[in-house]
Amino acid sequence: MRIERHPILTFDRGCRVRFTFDGRELEAFSHETVAAALLANGVPVLRHSVGELRPRGFFCGIGRCASCSMIVNGIPDVRACVTLVEEGMVVETQHGLGSIHG
Amino acid sequence: MAELHPIIRTDVLVVGAGPAGLAAAIEAARLGVRTLLIDDKKSPGGQLVKQTHMFFGSKNERAGVRGIDIAVELGRELEAVGCSFMAETMAIGVFDDGTVTALHRDSQIVRIIPRTMVVATGAFENMLLFPGCDLPGVYGAGGFQTLMNLDGVLPGTNVLMVGAGNIGLIVAYQLMQAGGRVAAVVEAMPRTGGYSVHASKIRRMGVPLHLAHTVKAVHGADRVNAATIVRLEQGKEVPGSAFTLAVDSVCLSVGLSPLAELCSMAGCRMDFVPALGGYVPYHDENMMTSNDRIFIAGDVSGIEEASIAMVEGTIAGCSAAARILGWNVEQRLGEHKRQLETLRGGPYGKKARQGKSELWGIELEDEPALEYAPASDLPQAVQRFTSGKRLVIECYDRIPCNPCEEACRQGAIRIGPDITSVPELDADKCTACGVCMMRCPGLAIFMVNMDYAADMAEVTIPFEQCPLPQKGETWTALDRQGAVLGPALVTRVVSATAFDRKHLVSFSVPKQQAHDARHIVPAPPSPRLIEATPQLLDTDPIICRCEDVRLSAIEKVIDQGYRSYDEIRRITRAGMGPCQGKTCQRLILQILSRKLGVPMDSLQPSTVRPPLKPVPFDVLAAASMEDANEY
Repeated sequence: MRIERHPILTFDRGCRVRFTFDGRELEAFSHETVAAALLANGVPVLRHSVGELRPRGFFCGIGRCASCSMIVNGIPDVRACVTLVEEGMVVETQHGLGSIHG
Repeated sequence: MAELHPIIRTDVLVVGAGPAGLAAAIEAARLGVRTLLIDDKKSPGGQLVKQTHMFFGSKNERAGVRGIDIAVELGRELEAVGCSFMAETMAIGVFDDGTVTALHRDSQIVRIIPRTMVVATGAFENMLLFPGCDLPGVYGAGGFQTLMNLDGVLPGTNVLMVGAGNIGLIVAYQLMQAGGRVAAVVEAMPRTGGYSVHASKIRRMGVPLHLAHTVKAVHGADRVNAATIVRLEQGKEVPGSAFTLAVDSVCLSVGLSPLAELCSMAGCRMDFVPALGGYVPYHDENMMTSNDRIFIAGDVSGIEEASIAMVEGTIAGCSAAARILGWNVEQRLGEHKRQLETLRGGPYGKKARQGKSELWGIELEDEPALEYAPASDLPQAVQRFTSGKRLVIECYDRIPCNPCEEACRQGAIRIGPDITSVPELDADKCTACGVCMMRCPGLAIFMVNMDYAADMAEVTIPFEQCPLPQKGETWTALDRQGAVLGPALVTRVVSATAFDRKHLVSFSVPKQQAHDARHIVPAPPSPRLIEATPQLLDTDPIICRCEDVRLSAIEKVIDQGYRSYDEIRRITRAGMGPCQGKTCQRLILQILSRKLGVPMDSLQPSTVRPPLKPVPFDVLAAASMEDANEY
């Protein structure tokens, strides 16, 4: 959910962009990270873990914990919490370890 | 993308542009040495950029100014003193000759050769272990705050906050400002760790604060849908005390650990001081580590408030510059050290005072133990006057803070030079102008007019929520615990630019409610959902999120005879993933300490080696070619 009114802050979200998540077209704003854009669209599961393929989502928010590693434009292990979403970006859920061959 | 020169020389390198690093860089540059500040974010400010609340302290520490605005002020000062700032640059290694390697924009390695260095890398959030702790919807409070206050995205609207230190209490309050709901705040200790004014703010808004309670498990298939809470007695679960709340998120605010990897890598002496948050680089009063070219400031030297980080930053920046200039630093720092002493006064500074004494091997004079309760539990302190219009200051627990005294033009509020003193009001001098109400960072000053009408009193409160009440509307008055008192007619709403996004809202209530009504809401709150406690399907929590190592696997190898963190790491792979043990190392050391019955400081954490974060091979390869050309 995007915060529509706030007593202290105003948000400069940038311009509207469209990206795809696992084939679904979603709307975001250019100043949002991939993880924030997905959470705003109600998507909490960003990857499945390396060992047991457990669902994982946004956790540390500073690009350290790898809980949000996703496949972005074909590249695995992209940390969705520190990567800005872009027009036409292709974002996919990562299952386990990434593969350089997709 | 423009490439940087691969080798950068500077006098002082400051790593980390949070409150401590900014203060250090500004001070060093002001003293005339070439200073470079680096940070992995796009702009300076560190945690300040999401701190929407007003800071405590005195004018020297910018008390009464919101953290987000302090970040802007410090950024301007940084420019004014001519300090270079390199954004999106993370220090990933430091070597014997003092060279720092940094990763710039995830695409280039630069080598920085400083004469002295200030490490101001802050802290990272502690993890708590419980079944479901790795489910989507469990967040670090800091991560949640980033989403909420920087991205403008509310990841959850019905949240359990775990931990009632200042961060937990503040994030819970900010969550409500953002339009979310806090199902409860639980705190394992029998008291809140944060300022009682922060606790009072959320209690009067109706948030249940469960002391001596903790989260036992979080439920959900692929996202959090409920959390089970239990009561603790002497740290042990009380049988039969479990209850389950329907929540969509769980926010963890269970302490911070100093992020001292660079110091550890540089070979600085590291001391285990629990009162400072764990392993900290040994440092003297001038913030110098055991390496006379490396200085530290802020949370990396021990977990404390941002106001203290800024003062430490100034000291470290001055020390680092003085080392180059050959100055005697002692006479320059006296005032800042006195400032630190003042800020560390009072009950809230006791932990830090203890920690620093332990570090320096000095005896701390015996002081009374921390004894306070949230202001809402102090009804005896409420002055139940029956006539007149008076200010009511509900600030009882010696917070280092004095903007109310500064704000009062009549001299009616007295705190004195020791800013941890409790404010005293001289009712004869007070003109009930309300300026102090706007300036109080704790939102702890109210006005009660018992002469408003025959049987009605008017209460005025500081207000910073959405929506803003309008004159003539009927809202619902809540007491200090958030219990519904009854209807409240909004009589006046005063807003002004000088109020810095706070408003003074007045409402009328029956006289017998005047000394209890402390908040208003548009409508009576709906009851909080308590569910039947679900059966736990999964009782074995994931301790290492990167490699999916469960608690039972760690306990098993300890039972098999493995005795050190490094051994456990190699045999289970816990701590070998991309986060390099930031989440699990502390937990594993605690389990080892408990199972073996040995103190934490006898256990060796892992050796820190570069790079501090994963670096693509092509980036490393390009860097090595540049090095070849240089030599």
